[in-house]
Amino acid sequence: MQGALRVPGAVKGERGKGMSRKLRETLAAYGFLSPYLLILATFTLIATVYAFYLSFFFVDFGFTEPEFYGTKNYQLIWYDLTHNGDFLISLKNILFYTVGVVILQTILALALALLLNQKVRGRSIFRTSFFLPSLTSSVAISLIFIWLYNSQGVINYLLSLVGIQGRAWLYDPTTALPSVMLLNVWTTAPTFMLLYLAALQDIPDHLYEAARVDGASSWDILRKITIPLLRPTTFLVTALGTIGSFQMFDQAYIMGGADGGPLKSLLTPVLEIYNTAFAGSNPRMGLACAEAVVLFAVIFLFTILQRRFIDTNIQY
Amino acid sequence: MATTISPPAAQARTRTFASEDKKPPAPQRTWHVLLYAILIFYSLFSLGPFLFALISSFKTYADILSPSLIPHPVTFANYQEIFSGANLFPRYIVNSLIYAGGTAALNVLLASMAGYAFGRMEFFGKNVLFALTLAVLMIPSQLILIPKFLVANSLGLTDNLAALIVPAMVQPTMVFLMTQFLKSLPRELEESAMIDGASRLRIFWQIILPLARPAMTAVAILSFQGAWNDFLWPLIVQSHQQNYTLTVGLAFFGRQNYIAYNLLLAGAAINLLPLVFVFFFFQRYFIRGISTSGLAGR
Repeated sequence: MQGALRVPGAVKGERGKGMSRKLRETLAAYGFLSPYLLILATFTLIATVYAFYLSFFFVDFGFTEPEFYGTKNYQLIWYDLTHNGDFLISLKNILFYTVGVVILQTILALALALLLNQKVRGRSIFRTSFFLPSLTSSVAISLIFIWLYNSQGVINYLLSLVGIQGRAWLYDPTTALPSVMLLNVWTTAPTFMLLYLAALQDIPDHLYEAARVDGASSWDILRKITIPLLRPTTFLVTALGTIGSFQMFDQAYIMGGADGGPLKSLLTPVLEIYNTAFAGSNPRMGLACAEAVVLFAVIFLFTILQRRFIDTNIQY
Repeated sequence: MATTISPPAAQARTRTFASEDKKPPAPQRTWHVLLYAILIFYSLFSLGPFLFALISSFKTYADILSPSLIPHPVTFANYQEIFSGANLFPRYIVNSLIYAGGTAALNVLLASMAGYAFGRMEFFGKNVLFALTLAVLMIPSQLILIPKFLVANSLGLTDNLAALIVPAMVQPTMVFLMTQFLKSLPRELEESAMIDGASRLRIFWQIILPLARPAMTAVAILSFQGAWNDFLWPLIVQSHQQNYTLTVGLAFFGRQNYIAYNLLLAGAAINLLPLVFVFFFFQRYFIRGISTSGLAGR
């Protein structure tokens, strides 16, 4: 009773100085937020605007003042794109890479999630061991796979057991990129498996029960109930997968070197941006920013296309 | 209470799968055998490269390319050489620990503060700022790589450990994670303290933070993992070898000693082990972090 009486009193007291209370709350909130907002503004917001701005300038390491270039950086990119330059090669590589990796890792993630969603003993042990590759550092994994993919490495040894002649996977321009693709499917699929597992738990059981009563087979249930209901997760998984794949750098840099591996088969846009900005005797940071803007546009376009593609394929 | 709730839930979950009767008919038994075979096979496929690399890091240079599962002879020389004075490895490890530890500690504090404001306070501009946080999550970090470097450079944040920690010390992902968690705590928690006139800072420190421990652990682990595994940013901002992190040191080491796989594997093992160790103790936090934030990929 006392508590109930107290509360209206408190509210009445507040009403008298309502404005100042609201102001105090706002000030306190900004106090809590200030470190975050400062870092966000400095290293993300300003940097984003700055990236776009710099793409119209010639910028070196900062020894000289940035020089206004107009659209010259974009013209250089256009020239590169129309004359089979490195940036075009890197975009072609990453397109092939992304389409392959996203399709394979999405299927694998879904398959693993469906398997783990079954009634199995030791589910968490399996989940843990499946998850391990996606937890560890791309650098360490790349180093390990340089060794595994070696021409005398264990992959070729295992292949020789089934009578397949191996090769130096990372030194052969036709196999270098696919080798990195497989490695990355292996490392990223488990993360997406977790998202699928979470979504599978949310599907109401009565849908399955109703389908079983109607005599649907497991395959029908998978195709007509499970996969359609997982569509939001599938969009998330493919969108995140696309964004992640387009940014591939570590593996290419470590397994192929800064010049992009055998015959530039491992040259990726981020590696090309890195090289433009930092490598060589004449750093061209403005051009690198313009390349980053183009890359961002490509990623954005892809994400929108995905949304359309996945949405228009709805069949109930 | 918990026991009365969980069995129906567990049962409901298993209902979706094949078996309902006590002894499954023959085709189902075959399916079960097949299921376990696939699960075990994929586990080997997942763990195999790590285990094999770890075991092989005890092999000699001559033995490193042999496919044998047991090193013959077993040697610790690779680790000894890595930790010997000739390499800067110990230095790299310390740098990585400072980077990852500092980033984790600061994210726990600063993301909790920001999450508290977003999750439990009403203020002018809240919706805009939170929408901004969500939008920023969509910006590919490589887009802003070069300007971020130039900004850091103009602030004197290059070639030192602060260059690593400062830009990463409070990340939108972690703020988002904290906000989601703090939002879920019941309103009543703060009410009496507020009526008693406690300040927001005091409520945050004495009531909210102790309750936020699970989310703080998730933030700590995820930001530690991110910084420990980070490669591109340290590669860009550090120009002197003594400031390299373990990942950068390993990458250059891998290049220079292209064929010294034995040392390479020992280095990779040192990079992998702390995280694997942390993961086995705290795996639910990794999993929670991914399923609440919906953020994945590398």
